Amino acid sequence: MTQKSTGKLSFYLTSLKDVYSFFFFMGRKSKKMKLFFLISILPVVVALIIKINQFFSDRTAIQGIYIFNNMTVVMYLQFLILILALFYGTSVCSEEMEGKTLTYLTTRPIAKSAILLGKYAAYTSLIIILTAIGVTLSFFILNLNDLLNFSLYKILLRDVVVLSLGLICYTSFFTFIGTIMKKSIIFGLVFSFGWENVIQYFPGSTQRFAIAHYLKSLLPAPKTGRFSFLMFRLEPSPPLLAVFMILLITVVFLGLACVLFSWKEYIFED
Amino acid sequence: MKPVIETQHLSKWYGNVLGLSDVTLEIEPGITGILGPNGAGKSTFLKLITGQIKPNIGTCFIKGKKIRNNYPLFSFIGFCPEQDAFFDELTGWQFITGLLRLHHYSPAERDDRAQKALEIVELVEDKDRVIKSYSRGMRQRLKFAQAIAHDPEIVVLDEPLNGLDPLGRRKIIRLIKSYKGEGRTVMVSSHVLPEIEAMTKKIILIHQGKIFAQGDIHYIRDLIETHPHIISIKCSDPRLLASNFIQEEFVLNVKFSSAENTLLVETNNRDKFFSLIPSLSVKNNIEVEEITSPDDNLQAVFDYLVGK
Repeated sequence: MTQKSTGKLSFYLTSLKDVYSFFFFMGRKSKKMKLFFLISILPVVVALIIKINQFFSDRTAIQGIYIFNNMTVVMYLQFLILILALFYGTSVCSEEMEGKTLTYLTTRPIAKSAILLGKYAAYTSLIIILTAIGVTLSFFILNLNDLLNFSLYKILLRDVVVLSLGLICYTSFFTFIGTIMKKSIIFGLVFSFGWENVIQYFPGSTQRFAIAHYLKSLLPAPKTGRFSFLMFRLEPSPPLLAVFMILLITVVFLGLACVLFSWKEYIFED
Repeated sequence: MKPVIETQHLSKWYGNVLGLSDVTLEIEPGITGILGPNGAGKSTFLKLITGQIKPNIGTCFIKGKKIRNNYPLFSFIGFCPEQDAFFDELTGWQFITGLLRLHHYSPAERDDRAQKALEIVELVEDKDRVIKSYSRGMRQRLKFAQAIAHDPEIVVLDEPLNGLDPLGRRKIIRLIKSYKGEGRTVMVSSHVLPEIEAMTKKIILIHQGKIFAQGDIHYIRDLIETHPHIISIKCSDPRLLASNFIQEEFVLNVKFSSAENTLLVETNNRDKFFSLIPSLSVKNNIEVEEITSPDDNLQAVFDYLVGK
């Protein structure tokens, strides 16, 4: 690598870091973050209700880790991370357009792709932290009686990693959608709760067209229980392939979003 | 003097709508006013020279380099957008330091530059208030502060006086005039002539995406020798004076004003007209109390040029 290209790369990375810091700071103190923090804490409330119910109930208690596993799939993987990724991913571009603040960013000595990637990284970090807090609190509440069983912490770590991969991938996809269309939220809702929730139950290779398929491939299929129907017909991909596909989808959509954002002309509406 | 901004056959259209047509200009250091009615193409021109949109035809150079996708050039440019838009949840201080961060300054330098910029726009006392609690005037000054905080050589201001009260206008005008020193280039757009007049004599008239005229006000006046002027004369016998004026070929129109004893004369040769007044006054024993030129400003030139 020549000195000139090293210098360019270093400048680009500095730009990324600066954009990241700016939006991480701004995102952290935004009203939107407070709202989504409350939403992300809902599973914790559910876990608390379940635990209180178990405490006062005479019935045989279901294992906390079993409930936690199902909660990861039903509440986080199929709902919360989609919502977080949708609202944060699409806003990477659209909130600058709607707020007419894009000008402040595009008149700085920063490549447009660095603006998009830096903001994407900042928002993804924020929602990963939000999710990790909720998941960890839910885990501790549901496994209150079994906190010394250290093998359970592996499950917590695995779930946090899988959900983070999900957030990274979905946010990348929604960032792309946000750069390409105006009504990105509507499309995103249809995609999240239509396509993603339906296509993954299709038999054969069709289910591989859903991101959820690769995420679920990283989680063990529940053996029995009321929620097992959610994994019904899942024909999991090998874990390595699943991780590769998640990362590939992320890179492809982020790359497309960068190209589009750099090339497209954004005109504010009066 | 070497031009700082150069455009060659710059044209831009949005679908079927013409934004700018074949604009070739050279802009030198100092304050240059871009003047034109709403929708004339001022903002399009400023967006093109700041590389925010790409021209359909033509090129724009800043300091001899193409601006489009040449983001390192933005270190030299400060842009104050027309829209009243901010990252509203930030304080004024966070807004300025945050944007300075995007210029890759160290934290100490960011603080120093933000402090200086806020001092210039007199917002230091309010720097820790959230922007959404700012008045319109404060927001305009904050926009100006973010444009100058990195000490750019070129400052582009799109309608910086929009929506301001007279006091706010005066403050911004003073800021703009004080900023032109040290060889800086300031471009400021407005659709209100007295605003531009208050800042500079170097203007570019733009209408329907085309440049009508460029230069200082005197140069533009020379361009339009036949521009009719209205002159108001308050005298003891306006009827008698009117009957004398009407015979002259350079007098186009004579009207009586609603003001008492006042005559409005339209002429296409001011020099001849003014030299005639003393002789007529003496000959007819008419006492002239006051002579004014109500349209002797840029508005008249502008209205004439755009065929109003």
